Amino acid sequence: MVMFTELRKSTRAIMCMDCGKCSSACPLCGPGGVTPRRIVQGALRDFEGDTRGTRACLTCGACEERCPEGVKFIDFVRGLRELRPASRAACPHAETFQSLARSTIGPEPPRRDLSWIGPDLEVAETGKVALFVGCLPVFERYFEGNLPVQPLDIARSAIRIMNAAGTAPVVMTEERCCGHDLLWNGDETSFRALAEANAAAFAERGIEHVVTACSECARTLGLDYPEALPGLRLKVEHVSEYLARELEEGRIAFEGGEPQRITYQDPCRLARHHDVVEAPRSVFAALPATELREMKHAGRDATCCGTSGFIHCDAESRRLQSARLEEARETGAGFLVTACPKCLIHFSCAQAEDRRRGIEPAVRVKDFTVLAAERLVGDITPSKAASALAAGAVSGDSP
Amino acid sequence: MKPIASPDPPIGIPDFDLAGAGLAVEEIETSPCTRACPAGINVKSYVSLVGQHRFEEAMRVIRDTCPLPSVCGRVCTHPCEETCRLGETGEAVAIRALKRFVADRCHDLPPPATAPERSTPVAIVGSGPAGLTAAWDLRLMGYPVTVFEAEAEPGGMLRYGIAVYRLPRDVLRREIGQIEKTGVEIHANRRLGCDFTLESLFDEGYRAVLVATGGGHGRRLGLPGEAALLEVEDALAFLHRANEGDRKSPGKRVVVIGGGSTAIEAARTAVRLGAERVEILYRRSLAEMPASGEEIDEAIAEGVLLRYLVAPDRIIEDDGRLVGLRCLEVELGEADSSGRRRPVVIPGSEFDVAADRVLAAVGQVAELDFLPPRLLSRLDRRKGLAVDPATGMTELKGVFAAGDVVTGPATVAAAVGAGHDSARAIHRWIEGRATGGRETPSTAPEFGFWTAPPKRPERRHPPTRHPTGKLDFDEVELAFTEDDAVAEANRCLRCGPCDECHVCAPSCDHRHLRVESPSGGSLEVRAPASLVGRMPDDPVRTRISGVGRSVSSEAVDRAGESQFVLAPVRGHIETERCRACGACIEICPFTAIDLEARTAGSDPKARIDLPLCRGCELCTAVCPTGAAESMLRDASWWDARASEALASSEEGGAPTIVLACERRAAELKADGRRVIGLPCAGAVTGGRLLDLVGRGAGRIEVATCTSGSCRFVAGPELASAATEQARDLLGLMGLEARVQMEDKEVEHGDVH
Repeated sequence: MVMFTELRKSTRAIMCMDCGKCSSACPLCGPGGVTPRRIVQGALRDFEGDTRGTRACLTCGACEERCPEGVKFIDFVRGLRELRPASRAACPHAETFQSLARSTIGPEPPRRDLSWIGPDLEVAETGKVALFVGCLPVFERYFEGNLPVQPLDIARSAIRIMNAAGTAPVVMTEERCCGHDLLWNGDETSFRALAEANAAAFAERGIEHVVTACSECARTLGLDYPEALPGLRLKVEHVSEYLARELEEGRIAFEGGEPQRITYQDPCRLARHHDVVEAPRSVFAALPATELREMKHAGRDATCCGTSGFIHCDAESRRLQSARLEEARETGAGFLVTACPKCLIHFSCAQAEDRRRGIEPAVRVKDFTVLAAERLVGDITPSKAASALAAGAVSGDSP
Repeated sequence: MKPIASPDPPIGIPDFDLAGAGLAVEEIETSPCTRACPAGINVKSYVSLVGQHRFEEAMRVIRDTCPLPSVCGRVCTHPCEETCRLGETGEAVAIRALKRFVADRCHDLPPPATAPERSTPVAIVGSGPAGLTAAWDLRLMGYPVTVFEAEAEPGGMLRYGIAVYRLPRDVLRREIGQIEKTGVEIHANRRLGCDFTLESLFDEGYRAVLVATGGGHGRRLGLPGEAALLEVEDALAFLHRANEGDRKSPGKRVVVIGGGSTAIEAARTAVRLGAERVEILYRRSLAEMPASGEEIDEAIAEGVLLRYLVAPDRIIEDDGRLVGLRCLEVELGEADSSGRRRPVVIPGSEFDVAADRVLAAVGQVAELDFLPPRLLSRLDRRKGLAVDPATGMTELKGVFAAGDVVTGPATVAAAVGAGHDSARAIHRWIEGRATGGRETPSTAPEFGFWTAPPKRPERRHPPTRHPTGKLDFDEVELAFTEDDAVAEANRCLRCGPCDECHVCAPSCDHRHLRVESPSGGSLEVRAPASLVGRMPDDPVRTRISGVGRSVSSEAVDRAGESQFVLAPVRGHIETERCRACGACIEICPFTAIDLEARTAGSDPKARIDLPLCRGCELCTAVCPTGAAESMLRDASWWDARASEALASSEEGGAPTIVLACERRAAELKADGRRVIGLPCAGAVTGGRLLDLVGRGAGRIEVATCTSGSCRFVAGPELASAATEQARDLLGLMGLEARVQMEDKEVEHGDVH
């Protein structure tokens, strides 16, 4: 449990000069609305004051890009959420996913159903490299019939990519939730319990390197786990980083496919929080017949998909989604590619709402991992991959 | 309307002392059908109860304000159906037929208990619907009541003016028998003015007399020579004879003059008695005909000919025998004082109609010969007996009047309403309270519906009997089957804040009410038993405001206010959060939610049509943003209930939590279970169930109503889906052993 005085110092909130540059970057900022400046200055003046802004903040980190004093706004907000907990999760999605995450805490480890891994995919019981699947199976079931998304395809695509690079990853039945949503909702106790249990499971299996297809898992495992567990030695890669590296090292290659024009949504957890901006772009460059057209706001300047994790959703979320989908449409791209399953779900949700009102979406939202796996050299298992590459059947040249 | 706005006790329920408790009561909006009922029946309530298979309770609700359910269920002109919102886009709910179904099914339900016996007897002259209603009301209040009937059998116009194929006499006898069971004494063959007088009644010790002698005899056509011809007859006299069993044929060519119920019934009776050609002549058009649509349709189906815009001009006779009528065509001119357009003769349009019998059904003239001459001389017989609108009393002290004798020919429902008014007026007069007068019109605000009524299944029609060959005098329209009645009742939108099923009043510890303090706060009330006893019988339609601590001292203490309002719980959309996804619109069982752009060009938002919302909170369960909220359940509600239910006890181990709708929650709690009550078990969500798992519940039971009995329509199915979802998600993580979870339908009273 952090104390407020400590939080003010550790996040440099006390350095805030009330200049308002942060608010100029905040996607929520509007007349009378939530602004980072108001959140920080408000809490500094009256800790017990209005908590609305604290709940609504996307923790997307756009404000931190502008702050001349280096105030860590989103850590400050996270601390406030912990110090002033909301009585319950803000929406039914949050309630469901956070409650399920909490249910995985306990001495008895989960025994995840792994039947979704088809016979064409190779996974291992033990090994140094693991795929962290995260919430994907849960999303698959939860949104089935409501949204046109197949989150498990993301997980399968990640395994296919790793197989293509000659690796059969460990997929752990005892994997618990990474704890992202609980941490950002202010439940640090549950987050810590999950982190410790997952770290113990990695150690038990001898895992040193974790790959994930989720930007939030990547940030949580890569940044928050080491902070919570100082002794943890773990290499964490988002699948885009993994692919970029494997491409460069020549262990993976793409082939063929119809020409496609794409644009890319940088997830906040990946681009701003984790500074992974170039890796996905180098993968796009390697994809045959693929043209990337950047949106007006891209890279560390990208705007949010409307909600981080499943923390908070409202009319403002919808406005952001509409605006971002409009930016994507303006590029003329056929696909809006995102490297985070949450972005995928949130944009799909907005498009489903549009469809119900008779508005046909202008772009198709697609996951990064699925897009990349589609253009792998066909029918690959780790053993075949090496020989295929050796035969020089494909090249990784960009169009 | 029910006397909710009055400080007097409503008919049929024990006294309550709101004024003594420092409370004033006013009505809140009610459904259009209930508003329209001249008898003051809570239409929505009994329709809702039929939809839940709760027929006896439905019968009680009907009998609360109508001692003649079987009669009204057959012959009412159902103004309720004319105002039904479903009529805007389709057909109204078949309300009258539903009442008949309930009345037939529960006809032997014992009448309510009477209040303690009073010592002031009341005499009622006339046993038609007005007299019988007043007798019933006064008797239930404890008055000794004697009814005097001039004819050999009680019933008045119900017996002598309504054809037996519409109202079988055994049904009428049965219904009057129920009234007699309360202790009302009916003396037949006692005619006012012949066998007794008003004075003699007071001499015998009656404190008040109600004259409810009916509309009198039929009015003449006003044609020269009609009095001399036996073949030109008052349709009522003809019906009277036929209804008493006279099966003599009226003639071969029968012409009926008039357009009301009496005209139609005389015509259909003539058909049954063997007339070859029966023709109704009406001087206005079909739209103005006072008879109900069903009656007219049935008459046409039975071969009765209808001619509109025709007026008789003179009688054609041959050798002292009727041979026909010279008629004139008319057209409709300006509206007259009754609001109907006045017929105007078209010059030169004469034509003849052959007839060997003419039945006049053109209104009635009151028979008032029993009145003292000094009063009689001042009366206009065409206008009936006048009463003081403030007191309901005639010019004679202690003599009240009600029904057709006052208003001229009107409907059964109107007579029932008039009976209620007189009973209250007599009660007040005997109590020595001159003020208050007759029931003032309802002050309940009108609904402001803004959503279009939703599509509902087709209206079901009760079966009818079509005898092959000759028509007989058996009943034509039959009762709904149970399945049809329930299905038809469930077409009803239940317009209004709740479905008024009254389940909350006797059995529920959560009355689904909230206390609103003037400073804007609101909180939940568990209505104390004292309030149940003291409140009007219709709490959900009643807003109580007052000063003092007598309603709910607990609530007042918590509100920190001395003034408060109790009002029904409804949903609420926090528009700032609403992203207009439409999930609430899809789930709402009452189609009470729709998207609405607040200003042109702005984003649409979900909005609840409050009169349609019944507070089931299903929308709060599906809203992805938490914008749909209940007025009661703010963010901390679930948290508090979950913590309370899971609070450690001596049991040890992971506890079993029961989630139940409020209908079940009270029984389960009494059983010592750890219960979280929701307005409807369907408002439980996968998330809430998982939350309980995360908090350490070892077993979760979702106790729902049985399918079909859920007052929020889909509760059991939604609860089942939520349980399935939670179980499914836990299964994905291999955590299904963490908790036992089941949903089960529980019969009311079958809690274990």
